[in-house]
Amino acid sequence: MAEQSALRSAGWLRTVRALDPFRATWRLFTNVRWAIGIISFMVLASLMGVLLPQVPSNVRGDGAAEAQWLASQGERFGFATDVMDRVGLFDIFHAVWFVYALGLLVVSITVCTASRLPPIWRAVSRPRKRVNDAYFASARYRFNYATPTAGSRLESGLRRQRYAVERYQEGETTYLFADRFQFAQLATFVSHLAIIIFLAAALVSRFSGFSNGLMIAEGTTGPVFPLTHSNQMQVELVDAVGRFSPEGQPLEYSSQLVIYQGGEEVKRCTTTVNSPCSYNGYRFHQAAYFGFGADVQVRDLASGNVIYRETMSLSDTLPSPHVIVRDGGGNVLLDEALVLTDILSTDEFVYYGRLVTLPDGRVLTMGARRGAESERWQLAVFEPGEGEEAVRLVLSEGEAASAAGLEFVYAGLQAIPAAFVSDLPLPPDVPAGDGARQVLVEMSNVVYGTGTASEGTAVVPATGDGPPELTIVGLQPRAQSLRPGESVQIGGYEYSFLGQREFAGIQVRKDRSDYLIWLGSALLIGGLLVTFWVPRRRLWAKITPARTYLAGQAGHLVRFDSELADIARREGAKLDEAEGQGEDD
Amino acid sequence: MAEDMQASGPAEVDEAPQQRRVWRGPWRSVIFPLLVVSAIAAVIWWLEYRPDAETSVYDARFGPVAMPVEMVPPGMSVEAREGSLAPDYLLKTLDGGEIRFSDLRGKAVIVNLWATWCGPCRKEMPQFVAAYDRYREEGLEIIAVNVQESPSVIQPFVDDFGMDFPVALDKRGAVSDKYRILGLPMTYFIDRQGVIRDVFQGPFLERLQGTQVQGAIEQDELTQRIEEILE
Repeated sequence: MAEQSALRSAGWLRTVRALDPFRATWRLFTNVRWAIGIISFMVLASLMGVLLPQVPSNVRGDGAAEAQWLASQGERFGFATDVMDRVGLFDIFHAVWFVYALGLLVVSITVCTASRLPPIWRAVSRPRKRVNDAYFASARYRFNYATPTAGSRLESGLRRQRYAVERYQEGETTYLFADRFQFAQLATFVSHLAIIIFLAAALVSRFSGFSNGLMIAEGTTGPVFPLTHSNQMQVELVDAVGRFSPEGQPLEYSSQLVIYQGGEEVKRCTTTVNSPCSYNGYRFHQAAYFGFGADVQVRDLASGNVIYRETMSLSDTLPSPHVIVRDGGGNVLLDEALVLTDILSTDEFVYYGRLVTLPDGRVLTMGARRGAESERWQLAVFEPGEGEEAVRLVLSEGEAASAAGLEFVYAGLQAIPAAFVSDLPLPPDVPAGDGARQVLVEMSNVVYGTGTASEGTAVVPATGDGPPELTIVGLQPRAQSLRPGESVQIGGYEYSFLGQREFAGIQVRKDRSDYLIWLGSALLIGGLLVTFWVPRRRLWAKITPARTYLAGQAGHLVRFDSELADIARREGAKLDEAEGQGEDD
Repeated sequence: MAEDMQASGPAEVDEAPQQRRVWRGPWRSVIFPLLVVSAIAAVIWWLEYRPDAETSVYDARFGPVAMPVEMVPPGMSVEAREGSLAPDYLLKTLDGGEIRFSDLRGKAVIVNLWATWCGPCRKEMPQFVAAYDRYREEGLEIIAVNVQESPSVIQPFVDDFGMDFPVALDKRGAVSDKYRILGLPMTYFIDRQGVIRDVFQGPFLERLQGTQVQGAIEQDELTQRIEEILE
């Protein structure tokens, strides 16, 4: 009866133990299958994050932009789009469940590692130095041979091989324990720690990383944080440089920056694509370069005050045909890449064009039109008037033709930077009209790729026709062209072209997780090197006057059976009489 | 050592101590792993959240200051919102002087928060320059509070645009924080009693038509607001 009661009590205790939440959690997190399951899940999720379109970083956080982006995905994913969005499949690496899974993986690896540390540490610091005699007959690696008649030199031989040897004597029998690379067994923890640090780095980056992109023109500043911030900094772009090969391939972008904080200059540095400028934990990466900016200023002549000062980004392009005109004697009357300023038309088509006055006073309209079939820009030349003596030509690129005593060569086509600007102050006497008034700004003879391009002087322009020239269409009936430093007064305003300016895209980042990545990489490499190249070796020996018995343990990558045979050979043992057992047996 | 000397023992050595361990009680199985995780978390916290080195020394005198009690009428609150008394500040000015907002009591005051990097701010500034020329004799004061920029960057802009009114330096962003700005430019219209009559975010431009600046309104709107606070 008492026994039955005791058994019931034991069963009850087992049930309570099984329900122990600590114990259950422990069993879960020390379960390798559980860890493999989480890792598999993370791999699958990451794969989906690569294959499925993800919300662009510049859209994330902007509700309207996100909705618009999501709507664009509706065409591809149909009715599933909304469900996928709710589940977070369009922003997997920022989804809450992904972060939780990452956290679970960290906990799992940490618990696994921590649970295995005590026994391994005990094995390292307090190894079993004596084994039962039966072990010499059952160890994974074992070897025995006739003890040399001159006496065993095993102990000294092991010491020469840098084993730490301890010796025990029992009657005529000598026991040895030899240990080599004792602490290498801990290397596996170093590798585990590296994985934990990698995952921690991902969490650090996810929760606290900062990144903001700035597009700054030379001579201007931009704030690191969108508005105010206790660590607010201003970045001034002193000079942006883009270097290109003769074929036009970019070779290097760099920017000279000045960083201000609290109203004071705190850093002056040069950043390149591969070598960011750093200040106070923030890194300023050169992320982009754009060479076609025009610094334009408008001054009110009555007050003398500047009322407009902007660096315009000329991000559009307009065609600029290079035309050569010769007279009947072969004299060159015109050799110029034309800046087109007007929209003209004939009975048959509309084209971009401009009036050109030749040295002899003849006036022509020249322009570019899209070819009906080829979609390539053609040169159109017309001369006012009727009859045979008036020029009427449409040429393709590279063609030449003669008409009305002149030879026309369409030498080539360039695309010049241009932009429609809506906020340039118009002269007070220009009626505002009903719609938006825009002016067209074009810049010819653009130069870039030099350190002095921003000054607009002393550089070889792309076309060899002189310094950059800014053409403004819309201020007055005729287009106005300005060279750097030139001004024109129109209706009480003074318009100045201060020079060509370059833009630099600066990506400001603060992410200390990169230190963790470096640390984790070093630990992982170090841990793996030790694990694979110098695994721990333990050897027990029993030396009797007749035979010597060896038993050993080592990592799987060590051919310890061969090493035991070598040890025996150095002892002078005759291997044909020896008996061995290796892992391969 | 005595234990080591005993030849008796298991026939096998613990060949794979890295195998899964059994439950060793809360201390070794729970507390110890938690300590390990905590230690790692502490290191990461230190790496990530340690205080940034102070690189700029702010003068503690400048920033928000308490408004003199006698300047706060009974029942009036001091807040950066319409109908309340405008908060008081002592700020350094671009020309090296100081300006205290409450010293301007009795004048109509425009507080314009701006920065040279702010495109709409640049575009509306000529309107404030013109308004100041027109209304300063009637008691209008404009304080252009620059948000966290360097004097060396501000000064050329101020010279070019002919800004004759005080340019105050909000180096720490304290004014911006107190005024809870959502973006730049932001303009507060304060009447002669120090009460905020209107708050406007966005630029005032000479012409609404032809501009692509979102939130911009015509210059007439600026004139209307100025005349309201001058009453």
